[in-house]
Amino acid sequence: MKRIAHEANKAALGVAALSMLVATGLGTAACAAGAAAPPVLQSETAGVTPFAGLTAHDVAYSGMDGITDGGVRIVNGDTGGLVASVYSSQYANFAWAPDGKTLYISETYWALGNRGTREDVLSIYGGPTLANEGEITLPGRLISDPKTHSFTLSADGHYAYNYSFQPAPAVTVVDLRARKVIDSVEIPGCGLVFPFGQRGFASLCADGSLAVSDANAQGKYAVHRTKRFFDVMTDPVMDESIGDPSSGLALFITYDGWVHPVHLADSPKFDKPWSIEQAAGLSPATSHVGQITWRPGGQVPAAYERSRERLFVLMHEGPPWSFEKAGTEIWVLDARTHRLLHRWAVPESAYLVAVTQDAHPLLIALSHTWLWVMNPESGAVLRATQIVTPGLVGVRGE
Amino acid sequence: MNRLDNWGERVTRRLAGRLSRRSALSRLGALLVAAPAFPLLPVQRARAADSAAHAQKGTDFSRAAQTHDDTACNYWRYCGIDGNLCSCCGGSTHSCPPGSQPSPTSWIGSCINPDDQRAYLIAYRDCCGANECNQCSCLNTDHAMPIYRPQANNHIIWCFGTQSFEYHCSMAVLVGLAE
Repeated sequence: MKRIAHEANKAALGVAALSMLVATGLGTAACAAGAAAPPVLQSETAGVTPFAGLTAHDVAYSGMDGITDGGVRIVNGDTGGLVASVYSSQYANFAWAPDGKTLYISETYWALGNRGTREDVLSIYGGPTLANEGEITLPGRLISDPKTHSFTLSADGHYAYNYSFQPAPAVTVVDLRARKVIDSVEIPGCGLVFPFGQRGFASLCADGSLAVSDANAQGKYAVHRTKRFFDVMTDPVMDESIGDPSSGLALFITYDGWVHPVHLADSPKFDKPWSIEQAAGLSPATSHVGQITWRPGGQVPAAYERSRERLFVLMHEGPPWSFEKAGTEIWVLDARTHRLLHRWAVPESAYLVAVTQDAHPLLIALSHTWLWVMNPESGAVLRATQIVTPGLVGVRGE
Repeated sequence: MNRLDNWGERVTRRLAGRLSRRSALSRLGALLVAAPAFPLLPVQRARAADSAAHAQKGTDFSRAAQTHDDTACNYWRYCGIDGNLCSCCGGSTHSCPPGSQPSPTSWIGSCINPDDQRAYLIAYRDCCGANECNQCSCLNTDHAMPIYRPQANNHIIWCFGTQSFEYHCSMAVLVGLAE
């Protein structure tokens, strides 16, 4: 049968060759008849596509450690196309300067790949082609699954805050203008960084309080604890809560869907908590065994649209302690009135959510293989792009 | 508690023996990080008491857990595991696969054994140094805490005290009764 197929193929090739000869002959005849010959293609010089900065509708996401290579990739929300990619180690974290032109990556390398001398660095990428512009050596950093609030910038982009757990919890403060580490602030019993003001930051603590760190006029940091405002054993605040460095507003979201609004400052103001489920007319979720209800969940389960004070939360139906389960819906909530505005279904379960901060925002949902661009007003899926498994997500102006 | 205390002592001795005596800071650091693994501490006693209380009620995970297949995500000890099961990578619930190295540090969870309805302390210890195994990847979050409560967090790469931070797989070592 193979020989027959071979002969048949030869016959087919013969027909094709004859067709080409005929076509070529016709083409020659057309030229002879006076049609203009196509211009000779110009020679090219290889280069790098310019990068003007993160646009309002660009979405940056990192690769999930262990599942895919690291790296930060930028997808344009208007086209769904990949715009740029930057190298990173595994377990890296990233943040953009407020102008969207400089990318900072907090990462760790070993001299021999998996061993040898360890080097923790803050790598800087920028310029016209988003090229590497050097590194700042860090005294340490937490190596964990990706956490948005383990590496953040002050609202003006002057300072970077790097959460370190090597071995004691501390926050490394980096002056990005001077490109040097200026302090290491110990925060025993606490973790993560939620910046506020010019140089302040708050951290969540294992006893349900906040550690508030701020620098005096001489740049010396002092740390103090606030009151306990949540019960860490029964309903802890999620690592991936909302922090807005420009206003100092934090929306600390618990496993059971309680939102604790806190106005971060040297003396933080704690607003009354409200329930996402109650906003939807449901009973609040509890940690009672067997209670299947709607709960927040995922890797990055919440996003906040600052100008309209809207909170977007990935929700799923599940039992207590299912806080990492992917969301089947995105709930859109008015964070001022505590009302549910919309419930949008996502095409598949999504693990991460983001919203752009411009006047015509795009809602972004990410599964392990797809990035969906959605209309936050209608819930319509505008476009879908295949992606590598994501770790963290960020947009301009967050 | 004597069993648990002895276990803590063994880990401490092993840790002290492995680290350079010159590196006092490193040793102190590793001990601090390893502290969550020691059931001697008051915080762990409190957790054990809490575990005993929730053992009476069970959890959503424990209600569907089984006790015969340690290569399945619903094996009872895996109630808080996040990562690749060492049992699927050439190791077991308490031994690392060849080519990898156990970390002396861990985080501690408590899981309910459906056979006797009792809560046991489980040390989730990572095996490090080899590339990620990527077999039998599980994500269970029973009583898993956020990262600012590291002693009960499964997102931290628990490779402190080893030669490498390359994560390979996770074990679920039985420590003892949480009572």
